[in-house]
Amino acid sequence: MAEKRKFARKYCKYCEAKIEYVDYKDAKILRHSLSERYKIMPRRLTGNCKRHQEMVELAIKRARATAVIPYIIDTKKVVAVPFEQLQQ
Amino acid sequence: MRHYELLVVVKPTLTVEELQAKLGFLKEILEKNGAVIAATLDMGTRKLAYQIDKFERGTYVVFYFTAPTAAIAEVERLIRITEEFIRFMTVKFENQKELRFWNKQVEKITKKSDAPAVVETKEIVEDTVTTEA
Repeated sequence: MAEKRKFARKYCKYCEAKIEYVDYKDAKILRHSLSERYKIMPRRLTGNCKRHQEMVELAIKRARATAVIPYIIDTKKVVAVPFEQLQQ
Repeated sequence: MRHYELLVVVKPTLTVEELQAKLGFLKEILEKNGAVIAATLDMGTRKLAYQIDKFERGTYVVFYFTAPTAAIAEVERLIRITEEFIRFMTVKFENQKELRFWNKQVEKITKKSDAPAVVETKEIVEDTVTTEA
């Protein structure tokens, strides 16, 4: 039992921030529910509540379609990232 | 009449006048189909998360409007035909929480569009001061 209490209790960060609607244009809000490779993180790892998880899922899918966040980061894209600053 | 949000990604190669012309064209379509535009948000040219039609960047513009349901199909059809629009996304706002967000966004944009006008006038005043000195 003592080992189980090692980590802080998970809670929904979207509930804490009192977000009523997850905007797909705001990548910052979505980042919390995305893995390093921009996959959607499961609820059991992020601690999101079901209501917010569903909203975030929809927003992430919309953000991907409009190129706000990538669908996936593969090895080819990882090479391209260091040149990001040079291009601008 | 329903509440909608329309995001359009425009080609980055256009000049300012061409861009304005294209956006004016889109606005015209919207209004012709009975839409009332509440606010437009220019998010500027930013890097795309992935290439679209060999483009690395795109200009994001968002429209907030109310329109009859039949208008959306027609507007989307015309956007698909127009080559300058590389991506678009229409979102419907239905329940109360979503509508509250819609109203909040419109308010935010109208406030912002008021604010820069004040700043510009201030700059002009400063310029005149420097020329006098």
